[in-house]
Amino acid sequence: MAGLQLKRVAKRYGATTVIHGIDLEVKNGEFVVFVGPSGCGKSTLLRMIAGLESASDGDIVIDGNRVNDVSAAQRGLAMVFQSYALYPHMTVYQNLAFGLENLRTPRATIDAKVRGAAQMLRLDALLERRPTQLSGGQRQRVAIGRAIVRDPTIFLFDEPLSNLDAELRVQMRSEITALHARLGTTMIYVTHDQVEAMTMADRIVVLRAGSVEQIGTPLELYNRPDNRFVAGFIGSPQMNFLTGRIATIRDEGARIALDAAPHAASDAALPVRVSTATVEQRVLLGIRPEHVTIGAAQAGSLHVTAKIDRVEQLGAASFLYCTLSSGERLTVHASGQVGYTGGEQMTVNLPVSDTHLFDATDAETAVALR
Amino acid sequence: MASVATMLSARRGRGKADWTDWFSYGYLLLGLVLMFGPVLWLVLSSFKSAAALNEFPPHFLPYGQKSVAVAGHETPLPLYRVTLPDGATRELAEVRRIGIQATLVDPNAPDREYKVNIRDRTPVRDLQFATGNYSEIFAKFSFGTYLWNSVFITVVATLITLLFNAMAAFALSKYRFGGRDAVFLLIISTLMIPPTIILVPNFLVVSELGLLNSLWGVIWPAVATPTGVFILRQYMLTIPDELIDAARMDHASEWRIFWRIILPLSAPALAVLAIFSVMWRWNDFLWPLIVLSRTEKFTLQLALNAFQGELTTQWHYLLAMTVVTLLPVTLVFAFLQKYITTGIASAGVK
Repeated sequence: MAGLQLKRVAKRYGATTVIHGIDLEVKNGEFVVFVGPSGCGKSTLLRMIAGLESASDGDIVIDGNRVNDVSAAQRGLAMVFQSYALYPHMTVYQNLAFGLENLRTPRATIDAKVRGAAQMLRLDALLERRPTQLSGGQRQRVAIGRAIVRDPTIFLFDEPLSNLDAELRVQMRSEITALHARLGTTMIYVTHDQVEAMTMADRIVVLRAGSVEQIGTPLELYNRPDNRFVAGFIGSPQMNFLTGRIATIRDEGARIALDAAPHAASDAALPVRVSTATVEQRVLLGIRPEHVTIGAAQAGSLHVTAKIDRVEQLGAASFLYCTLSSGERLTVHASGQVGYTGGEQMTVNLPVSDTHLFDATDAETAVALR
Repeated sequence: MASVATMLSARRGRGKADWTDWFSYGYLLLGLVLMFGPVLWLVLSSFKSAAALNEFPPHFLPYGQKSVAVAGHETPLPLYRVTLPDGATRELAEVRRIGIQATLVDPNAPDREYKVNIRDRTPVRDLQFATGNYSEIFAKFSFGTYLWNSVFITVVATLITLLFNAMAAFALSKYRFGGRDAVFLLIISTLMIPPTIILVPNFLVVSELGLLNSLWGVIWPAVATPTGVFILRQYMLTIPDELIDAARMDHASEWRIFWRIILPLSAPALAVLAIFSVMWRWNDFLWPLIVLSRTEKFTLQLALNAFQGELTTQWHYLLAMTVVTLLPVTLVFAFLQKYITTGIASAGVK
C-alpha cells in the first residue's frame, strides 16, 4: 500500500502537450477515479503513473520516492487494462502465475497465491481454461486476479468495465468496490462514465483536455461544481444551463434575471462574492433537472414558463423535455408519474438555493460564481 | 472419401454439367498432368532397373524381363517367348547368345536346347520394382552422410532463421525508435538485390572466416532473410500492444516478453517462415556448391549433381536419390500447407 503524488506532471508528444502540469495527491488506501470525456488524457496520465509512458515534466512520487526513472516492472503497481490483455495462449492459472514467475517466486508460493486469488474471485473452476473460453465478466475477474496475486502497492484500472454489458457492469462495479474495501489498497480508476465515478470513488478527479477541472468527493462535485464543465459532466441527465444577467447585487447576494423571463428578477438572492460579480454581468444559471419543480409559483424561486416537447415516463420517475420562451431547453426530472403530455404549457420553479451560478463572460471556462 | 467424391463431382449449378464444367475439369486435368506427370514419371522410373531405363521406347511402368531359375545354372536365366521353326510359341530361358543365334532351354526340361534366330524371340516382361535402387544407394555411396548434412543444414538454419528474423521483427513492430521505418525499408529493399550479385562478397567473407568446407559456412550467410522479417513483422503488428504493456507490468523482461508472449502468439507466421526456410535450405544448390568442395561435406543436392559422371551416369541410383531428396519437402508441405495460406493471408492484410 502506498500513497501517490503527482507534481506538475506533464506529457508532450513533440509540439503537442496532452497533459498540462497536473498536481495530485492520492492518500494511502484511497479510491480515486479519473473521469473525463474521451481524449482528455486520463488514460495517458494513468499510463504515466504505471510507467508505461514517460513523463515529459514533473515528478511522480510513490511512497515518497520519485519514480520517474523507475521502469514499470519495478514500480510495484498492477494494472487492469480495458481489453483485459490476458495472454491468449496461456491458461487462467498461467495468466495469474506469469507475474510471479517473472519475480522468481517459489513454485509453492505461486500456487498458494494463485489459488487464493482464484478463490476470492470465484475463478477456482476455471483455472485450466484459456481466456477465449471465458465470458466477458470472467475475463475481467482474471484480469483483476492477475493484479491481485502480486500484492501491488497501487491498483490501476484503465476503463475496465467498458467492454461489459450494462448488467454485468453494475455487478462488477460493486465487486471492485468490495475488493477495495477488503484489500484496503490504493486504487486509481479511469473511466469516462460519471456514474461509475460517482458510485465507486472516494475522490474524483475531473479532467478535460489534459488539465484537472476539479478534484473532490462525489458529492462535492455534485453539490459545488467549480465550473460549467464539471457541473455538466457530473449528474444524469445533464444539468440545465440558462443564460441571464445579474439584475442587482446587494449584501445578501445577487438577484438574477433570466433571458427566459427578463423582467422578473429572482425574489431570492444567490450568494456571490462582490469582487467577482458586477451588475449586468452575463451569467449562466445551472440547475439540475431533479431540482426543478412544476406548478404554481413558489417563494425563493425563479419562475419560467415552459412548453413541453416530450415526456418520458419511467414509472418511478418522469422526464419532461421543455423549451423556454428564450428558445433554451430545460429538462425536468419529476418523481413519480405525471399527467402532462407534449405541447402543454406549464410554469416551473427553479429554487434559488439549488441553483449554480457561472460566469458567462468566458464561456470556455465558465467558472462558478460564489 | 465422401468429401473427395463430392469435391471431384462438384458442378456449376445443380443440373447437367455445363460446358464451363467440362472446360474447368479439362483445364485442371491439364494442370495436374503438367505438374504431377514429371514427378510421377520420376518416381516410377526410380523403380526401374538400369536396363529398363535404357530401353527404347521407354515404358511408363517399371517393366523388367522375367527370369527363372533353371536346374544346372547358377544364376536365373532371362525368359523369352520364342517362335519355333514349326510355328509354335513357347516360353524358354536363354542360356547364351552368340551373334544372331541364341541358345534357349525349356525351364522345365533343361536338357534339350533350342537354337533360334534372335529375331524370333521377344522378352517376357512383368512389373518389377527395383527396390534395390533405394537400398543400394545407402550401402554403395555415403548417401547417409549427404542426407545428414542436408538435414543438419536445413534444421539448424531454419531454427536460427526463425530466431533472428523474429527478433528483428519484434523490434521493428513493437518498439518505437528513430529510424525504425528506414531500417525496415532497408531490409525490405535488399529483396531487390539478386543473390548472384553478392555471391563473390559473400564467398570472400565466408572464406576469411575460415568457414569454407564447413556446414556453418552454408548456414550463416542466409539466416537473415528480408522475407522472413517482413512476414513476421506484419504478423506481430496484429498482436495488441496492451499484451506487452501487461507483461511489462507483470515484471517481464524484454527477452521474456519476446520469448513467452510474442513468439507463441506468432506461431502461425513462424510456421510459414519455417516451411519457406526448409524449402529454401533443402533445395539450395548454388551456395553449397561454392562453399563445400569436399565430398564428405556434400549436401544431397550436391551429391546428386556429382553423381552425374562425365562419361557414365547411373541413372537408376540417381533417380532413387532424387526421390528421397524430394520426400522431406513434400511431407513438410503436405502437413503444413494450411499454415501457408492462413499465414500469408494474415501477414499481408490485417
